[in-house]
Amino acid sequence: MPSSLFTQFKSEDSIKKKLNLLFRNRIFRRFFIQFVFGIFLLLLFFYIVDKALNLELGFGHLSSRAGFGLSHTFIIDYNSNDSRWMSYFAGVINTIRVSLVGIVLATILGIFMGLARLSHNFLINKIATGYVEFIRNTPLLVQIIFWQLLLLQLPHISKALTFGGLSVWSNKGILLPIISSNENGSLWTLILFLGLIISLILRSRLFKYKEEHVDLFSPNLISLFTFVAITIISFFALSMKLSFNVPEVNINQYGTYIQSGGFILTPQFAAVLFALVLYTGTFITEIVRGSIQSLPKGQTEAAMALGLNSYQRITLIILPQALRSIIPPLTNQYLNLTKNSSLSVAIAYPDLFMVSRTIMNNAGHALPMFVLILITYLTLSLVISLIMNIINRRVTRIGA
Amino acid sequence: MFKFRLIGIISLFAVLFVLAACSDESTSSGSSEASSNTLEVIKDRGTLNCGVNDNLTGFGVVTPDGAFEGFDIDFCKAIAAAILGDASKVEYTPLTASARFEALGSGEVDVLIRNTTWTASRDRDLGNDFTAPTFYDGQGMMVYADSGYDSIESMSGATVCVLQGTTTELNLDDRFTGSGIPYTPLTFETNDPLQAAFEAKQCEGWTTDKSGLASKRAGFPAASGGPDALVVLAETLSKEPLGPLTRDNDSELYDVVQWVVFGMMQAEESGITSANVSDMAANPTDPGMARLLGVGFEGGEVQDFGFGISADFMQNVLYQVGNYGEVYDRHLVPLGLTREGSLNAQWTDGGLIYAPPFR
Repeated sequence: MPSSLFTQFKSEDSIKKKLNLLFRNRIFRRFFIQFVFGIFLLLLFFYIVDKALNLELGFGHLSSRAGFGLSHTFIIDYNSNDSRWMSYFAGVINTIRVSLVGIVLATILGIFMGLARLSHNFLINKIATGYVEFIRNTPLLVQIIFWQLLLLQLPHISKALTFGGLSVWSNKGILLPIISSNENGSLWTLILFLGLIISLILRSRLFKYKEEHVDLFSPNLISLFTFVAITIISFFALSMKLSFNVPEVNINQYGTYIQSGGFILTPQFAAVLFALVLYTGTFITEIVRGSIQSLPKGQTEAAMALGLNSYQRITLIILPQALRSIIPPLTNQYLNLTKNSSLSVAIAYPDLFMVSRTIMNNAGHALPMFVLILITYLTLSLVISLIMNIINRRVTRIGA
Repeated sequence: MFKFRLIGIISLFAVLFVLAACSDESTSSGSSEASSNTLEVIKDRGTLNCGVNDNLTGFGVVTPDGAFEGFDIDFCKAIAAAILGDASKVEYTPLTASARFEALGSGEVDVLIRNTTWTASRDRDLGNDFTAPTFYDGQGMMVYADSGYDSIESMSGATVCVLQGTTTELNLDDRFTGSGIPYTPLTFETNDPLQAAFEAKQCEGWTTDKSGLASKRAGFPAASGGPDALVVLAETLSKEPLGPLTRDNDSELYDVVQWVVFGMMQAEESGITSANVSDMAANPTDPGMARLLGVGFEGGEVQDFGFGISADFMQNVLYQVGNYGEVYDRHLVPLGLTREGSLNAQWTDGGLIYAPPFR
């Protein structure tokens, strides 16, 4: 009670006793502690704001001509005459590219290895265990450099492996044959992608309809037919011409070997990708294994009692339930993979960090650049988290 | 008891916070002080922090027993000898090309002597001050002798290995893109993976300063063909004046570094070497030499230029390190970088090594 405290406080004569009285009072003590803490928070806040105001946070230098080339550009067409913004953007795309492909491959690898870890087959089990223990316990940077050095051992381009003219393997890159098309190719790919999504949605709607109403048709067949129809109609509507693009190596008039055609997997990209996939794959393996093992054994036994085979057991019973505990830690691994891609600076793969370092060396302004880098990685991570949260919500809803 | 412990913890936290804030304040004011007078900081500390290369034979390299040696290293030693009177009082910090300016700007090193090219943007934008160049270099291109390349034009479509964050990276692009020659740059942060890629012939060309190429060529492993497997193309892609640099607005240290370099050049011109510097100091042959060595001429007064270090600093430099020509002969001649006829000859021999007067 503040009023009685106040009268008591007045009645005491020595300062020591007064203070003693104050600190023995719970209300005052709480107030005092929070007050002091609040003051310090405020001071810290002002200190940071004051420092921030003194910084030069301009990005004007990013509008200048870049002046350096990049060995890897993807989607966008960058050359040294473009601005530094453009080079930074090319770096961001390179980061997204290696992260995205890495996430997909690491997930596939992790799920298979996770199942293999639980296999009763001695060989499969031990291979999976060995993979996890070996890769997980070595530093990622060392692995990236290891892969880079390993890929350097591929033959020189003059002695490239061609596999009967279908592919070109040398230490300048692995060229794989692809199907290429005329200028409408990317549009057609987009339509195919949309068609796939439409037919998948159609399939689930039809299944729901079938359960509730009639049992006269096969949703699988109808959705497949829809997809094929979209494919064929758009193919002819866009007057597509498909051709087989086989890589080849030629020598120009100066004696330089020029590789062309096909899909190129450069040693730098491959080294970063392999290392990231293998490294992150070990963690995903353990997540998958742990999640499956955390399910009650009765689930498997019940599935067996129903007469489901092992494939059905995994796809219908085990994985859908395990997914609930897989997704949250999986998100962490996706974030780790994306952030770890900045290690590619060691082996000449121009990701956003490497491009930024080059810009910083040419133009200075290190602090604003680092702020920009942090914001970019933050954005990438938040997007991944957002998508994974949506997936997580869907997964947890099923059967709930 | 508990509540008092809690209050104790809170107040401890508060005290720590204040201390942290204070120490932060003092370091930040300390660094701003350091940026204005690093010379005094070096004298108080008793060592010179020198940012160097540890992987470039002849310029800066770590010997098998862990010591640093090379052309650039000798200038670190010379500056330490001038300021502290002892050439061994140097703390070397090996830096990559891409980390060097941050290290200098943040105060991690006092002076950067790491085969760094003087350019306008580095001088202004990056907040550095370049002193007199110690070595006039030019960018070259090294290729395998059996590749048949004889000019930049013939390298159409080639892949070129280059260090990240260097002027060479930009010059390379100017030369190729400027002439419409297609090429692929392969940009490495450090020399070791770059050399591995070049040895595996992942890139046809290796470009950097010609002095650096000479150094790399001299040390090329025999397993990959040795020095004879490589040629440096005749074309020079750019001007590369290399020299020491300090932070902007650090005039005291800047002047000392500048005039130590000039002093070593002047000493060579005047014929003072590490062997005869003691005799010359005892018996200077002319007033100019007396001024350089910080002694009186024929019993006259000593002229102190007011660098804030002892007036006879050049005696320490020359006695412990040697003059410019001695340093050059010690480290760069073994690489095959001859001085005669090059830009690095004394101005009296038609080169660019020219010291303003000590007066």
